[in-house]
Amino acid sequence: MSITSDILRGHTEAIILAHLLDQDSYGYQINKDIMKKTDNRCELKEATLYSAFRRLEQAGYIRTYWGDETVGARRRYYSITAEGRQAYQIYKHDWEEAKADIDRLLK
Amino acid sequence: MDEMIRSYIDELFSEGPKTRKAMDLKEEMAQNTIEKYQDLISEGYQQEDAYQRVIDSIGDVTELFRDLEERELFLLPEEERRKKAALKAVSVGLYIFAGVVFLLSMVVNEILFHMKPGIGMLGVALTVLVCIPPTCIQVYVTHMYPDLCKKEDILTQAYREAAGARKQDRGIRNSLSVVVWLLTVTIYFITSFATSRWEVTWIAFLVGACLQAILILIFSLKKE
Repeated sequence: MSITSDILRGHTEAIILAHLLDQDSYGYQINKDIMKKTDNRCELKEATLYSAFRRLEQAGYIRTYWGDETVGARRRYYSITAEGRQAYQIYKHDWEEAKADIDRLLK
Repeated sequence: MDEMIRSYIDELFSEGPKTRKAMDLKEEMAQNTIEKYQDLISEGYQQEDAYQRVIDSIGDVTELFRDLEERELFLLPEEERRKKAALKAVSVGLYIFAGVVFLLSMVVNEILFHMKPGIGMLGVALTVLVCIPPTCIQVYVTHMYPDLCKKEDILTQAYREAAGARKQDRGIRNSLSVVVWLLTVTIYFITSFATSRWEVTWIAFLVGACLQAILILIFSLKKE
């Protein structure tokens, strides 16, 4: 279990990009998706999530905008850019390679 | 309970930088946390437990502040830096010119008037007069352009404008004071040497003090 959350932290940015591929999303929604996909085993700390957002924004991989919710507080949405999609593909390819290497080493 | 979450996050950010980025982040964090809290409540959590859970999941925000801070401190924008450099260059040039004026007045006095004290004093007075503009420029520059300025998006537009106006006011007011006092000293010496009535001429300083007070008064009245 602790292995997963350690690895997860190291890949926060790629995980965010992956979640934005199909549709725009916001912090809590992304975290909810992560929990759902891992059967509530993994959850990112909000501070980790936000600093990853800032880094991605600075790199030009995501863009942010405020939603127009009429009730309650406004959500801050993120959308992926073309550069972000490219970075995701490269990241995914690197990860596949690394995974194969680790698998071989642990056999 | 929403208010409790908000005030907790306000507390967290009270230590952080006061930039628009930080305000946006605070808003984003509050919104996400409150939404999560509401989800926990609808799942059947007790209010206190839900509150504790959402607060725990925020984590360490000091790292975030560091990110926001680094971008906050920034050198002056290029254009302002150039303006500041130009103003400083002009003022240094004028100081050098004042030195030249002084030396020239000595030479002229020596050749034409054989070092008459009255003419010598006139030279000193002229030098002081030439020193007034560069001194004003220096005072103004120091107040208008601090070495490190906070980058563009600090707080709201309104606050920025108010702060800018205050800074400009202070710059102008200090420049005015410098002018008044240098003029006073000049007039004091000129009249003293011209009339040789030293026992009377010191009143120039009282007049100078009055003048300064009046100027500041007019200045603040006009502002209102």
